[in-house]
Amino acid sequence: MNGSQGSKLRLWSCAAIFGAAAAMHSGLASAGYNDGKVFLTGGVFTVDGAGGGGAVPWATITGYETRDGINGGIGYTYANLPALQLNVFGGAIGFYDRFELSYATHKLSLNLSNLDTVALVAEALGGLDLGTDPWNSTLQMDVYGAKLRLFGDAVYTSDSWIPQVAIGGLYKENKTGDLVRTLGASKDKDWEAYLAATKVFFPLSTLVNFTVRYTSANQIGLTGFGECSADGCTNDKEFRFEASVAHLLSKNTAIGFEYQQHGDNLDGKSVSLAGLPLEGLTGLLGNLLPGVEDALTQEKESDWMDVFFAYAPNKNLSFVIAYLMLGNISVAQDQNGFYMSMHATF
Amino acid sequence: MKLSKIGLSLVTGAALLAASVQPAFAGEQKTKPILGIPKSALDDFGGAAGVHAWVESLFYYIMLDNRISHIFREFGNVERQIALNTQLEQMVLGGAVEYQGASMSAAHADLGITMTQFNAVVEAAYNACERNNVPYKTCNHLIAALAPFTRVIVTR
Repeated sequence: MNGSQGSKLRLWSCAAIFGAAAAMHSGLASAGYNDGKVFLTGGVFTVDGAGGGGAVPWATITGYETRDGINGGIGYTYANLPALQLNVFGGAIGFYDRFELSYATHKLSLNLSNLDTVALVAEALGGLDLGTDPWNSTLQMDVYGAKLRLFGDAVYTSDSWIPQVAIGGLYKENKTGDLVRTLGASKDKDWEAYLAATKVFFPLSTLVNFTVRYTSANQIGLTGFGECSADGCTNDKEFRFEASVAHLLSKNTAIGFEYQQHGDNLDGKSVSLAGLPLEGLTGLLGNLLPGVEDALTQEKESDWMDVFFAYAPNKNLSFVIAYLMLGNISVAQDQNGFYMSMHATF
Repeated sequence: MKLSKIGLSLVTGAALLAASVQPAFAGEQKTKPILGIPKSALDDFGGAAGVHAWVESLFYYIMLDNRISHIFREFGNVERQIALNTQLEQMVLGGAVEYQGASMSAAHADLGITMTQFNAVVEAAYNACERNNVPYKTCNHLIAALAPFTRVIVTR
């Protein structure tokens, strides 16, 4: 798929989301539109598209609907880190506070000089297609999600320890397979499943969420799934732990913390050239460009952490500002930076 | 014949006795939030006068909300409800106050209250806290104390 086709497709998917949102706003008014949920209790827009915090999906169902109707919204997230910029656009619809459908599309721009070096070398060597152009590498991913609330009420059962519990599934389709394989991943498309438990503790004015995700993703799938080495490729899923704690300062303002455990599929892996590990080449390159071997070895993938501030001036709009501590991402270290997300609900 | 009559009246008496100790017939009980209600909760609310002022604000906001005002207009005497709610809120916050109204389940059984309508009252409750300068954290103690009634109030 060439660039212009890709962007046309994205334009269409954006239009479809706006269309769906508009339909929800007007057409569905008679078919069960509802906005009766209490402030912020539907969560905001995660990077997976699902309702939750910033990275962690919650057991709450997206939107402001109660069990009496349908609601949903669209979200946009921008994260600015030293070596990359992430744009996420998407939308989610909640049905009867029971079921949720979501979509998110990611565009991750990389400015990694060491990856650029590889691309330059590859070009110099005669146009190996690595999925990365010098000075312009962009990872793209689409995420489709569904979530089902199983039991419990996160908000009103203040006399019980039983949280609200939901299961969810995500299908992630990375559109930049060549680049993902250059970074050593096994697959560019895969599914994930998660179980989330959420509870509001009113006396503490605090929401607590724990999520377990069954996945083989590298950097939530942005750098693919599983890993390939000289011995072949593996894509073994494992359970990873995630948590969100949000303290409400007032009914429409929250501060909090998130944690998301990540895997180690690509730890210590050299960037590979068209399926061939780069070790031989880096040896050669090392003579020309000292230190390039280290620079092309991927760091240990760090768990993600962030602290956030969320504000909902009204039920139709919420803003989240966060400081991300994402650690090592691929060949880049210390990726800390700012995150901003807007979620409009209809 | 006589013996069976005595037997019958004994059974009736026992049934009446059982009824009198059944909490459902004796108004409403204090809820039991898992994290408890702090001893200072009622004082933080401004005591009996503070709770009464809050309940007046609550009904002010309820009667302004088109989603729910008709229910209160149709099914209740607002003055009476303000008096009873003042008792109920003091009781759930730990005050030594007798609540003289019906149980929450009996009072709402036939109203067919939806979760949307219930949440509208909760929004009015937060608005009342803001209007009366009750801190958000103090307000949440009352919400925690009233939240378990959701199960019996929301019947649809």
